[in-house]
Amino acid sequence: MAKRKSMLAATGNKTGHAFILLFLFVAAVITLFPIYMAVLNSLKSDGEMLNRVLSFPTSITFGNYADAYHKIDFLRSFWNTIVVTLIGVTGIILFASMAGYKMSRTPGRLSRFLFSLFVLSSLIPFHSILITLVKIAKELKVQGTTYGLGFIYIGLGVALAIFLYHGFVKSIPRDLDEAAVMDGCGEFRLYAAIILPLLMPITATVAILNALWMWNDFLLPLLMLTKSQYYTLLISTNMLFGEYNNDWSAILSSLVLTMLPILLVYLLLQKYILSGIAEGAIKG
Amino acid sequence: MSVLRKNKQTVILLAFVLPALLFYAVFTIAPAFGGVWYSLTNWNGLNPTYDMVGFANYTEALTNDPYFIKSVWFTFKYVLYMVVLQNVIALLLAVFVESRRKSKVLFRTIFFMPNMLSLIIGGFMWMFIFTKVLPIIAEKTGLLILDQSWIGDPAFSFYSIVILSLWGGVGYQMVIYIAALQGVPASLREAAAIDGASSLQTFRYVTLPMIYPAVTIGIFLTLSSSFKVFDAVYSLTGGGPGRSTQVIALNIVEEAFKFNQRYGYASAKAIILFVIVLILTVIQLWIMKRREVEA
Repeated sequence: MAKRKSMLAATGNKTGHAFILLFLFVAAVITLFPIYMAVLNSLKSDGEMLNRVLSFPTSITFGNYADAYHKIDFLRSFWNTIVVTLIGVTGIILFASMAGYKMSRTPGRLSRFLFSLFVLSSLIPFHSILITLVKIAKELKVQGTTYGLGFIYIGLGVALAIFLYHGFVKSIPRDLDEAAVMDGCGEFRLYAAIILPLLMPITATVAILNALWMWNDFLLPLLMLTKSQYYTLLISTNMLFGEYNNDWSAILSSLVLTMLPILLVYLLLQKYILSGIAEGAIKG
Repeated sequence: MSVLRKNKQTVILLAFVLPALLFYAVFTIAPAFGGVWYSLTNWNGLNPTYDMVGFANYTEALTNDPYFIKSVWFTFKYVLYMVVLQNVIALLLAVFVESRRKSKVLFRTIFFMPNMLSLIIGGFMWMFIFTKVLPIIAEKTGLLILDQSWIGDPAFSFYSIVILSLWGGVGYQMVIYIAALQGVPASLREAAAIDGASSLQTFRYVTLPMIYPAVTIGIFLTLSSSFKVFDAVYSLTGGGPGRSTQVIALNIVEEAFKFNQRYGYASAKAIILFVIVLILTVIQLWIMKRREVEA
């Protein structure tokens, strides 16, 4: 009897495993399918794409890519996206680590007040401040340029980063600060030379979360960047889509071009990215 | 502590906080207060002057703006679908992926991949699938159910938007659930198995209660993010056909920047969105935290 039960459990286990594998396999196919279709059809000529969507290209053409490369002004758009992300991420890391560290270390009402001021905004949806933000950006003349957009991201993203740094600093022993001060280390040098390197793990999380957000953000650049010379990759692609609505060859190749850098980064750094995401979500 | 030292400490604190505070004040706090202020005015983008109109914008939005009210209900429906489907699928994927030994990393990498991409990119790719690929598949396989007007028919475009959003969002929730599952000690599950619990029972009575806090986070994140949905709708249907798939965020943006430039009125709608999200997330956290304590 006992033997029969365990055999039953074993076969149950086997079908269970097979079911799980099947489920995962189907889910993986669905996940990859749009990307696969985009790549596959971007390599076909127009006529072939419309007639034989699912099959392999009879002859691989890169002509669509040359076309898309020019239409979205790839290098410039790519560079613009890098500038925006770099300014935003660097600013957030620098300012948020300074503020988070010092507020975490300083007791008192002022410090607590400042911290809660930063934390409070996390509840406000972005669309609720968007309209006035555009007006302020216009008045301060930061609207319309990549570096201006980078500055705005600092203002929007600094609060969450401060929250993460504030929590992390608590795990660094205070003795370290005190020893450094005893040795005659100045306040800013203490932060830059001793604290900042120790914050590295949480800095990685902050960098990943913010870079991903800025690289993929759409609405804000759409409203802020009005001149084509400042377009980011997404805005260029969106404009292409609007202009050549039915030219799927150009659209698909530009989508692949736009995806390529970020997917490469993902495959190289996926371990760090996934742990950064999990940490950011759970602490945030 | 001497007064002098305390003053010095305050100065240092302010010096360290000031750069962050400056950017934050200009680009987050000022627009937040500005939004509340302008929501009480009839300011539009064209006139330099404006008047206070009290709560007129709010009453108009809630009683006399069928498109806005429709977009609110449409968003509610979308949020409901997303909160349930996204978390159920993500939890399933997380449990299944974690049960694999060798292929764990591979599957995790694949399922998270769409989260690396903007839903604008994802939306254009899915548009290609919905309009060019599915009709062909339907023709070849005879699965006529696939041959629908996925973008053009409001009955189906809702589901296209949900499919796109799930595709782009499930991986993120899955990563959260995987992290939580890894925190459940294997010894607990083994003990349950020895006591004769089936794997389903073990999951229901051992694993699930242990990862309950992650479920709270997961639902909170989907709730607050899907109320703000914009990219998925913008890229796939643009709110159409007509305005049948318009969500709140799209309605606000079009009100302000596309049609009428009624900034004051759009600000009032933006505040309404804020209040809805606030109330719902607070209720959700309150209910689930209470259950967490009981569990």
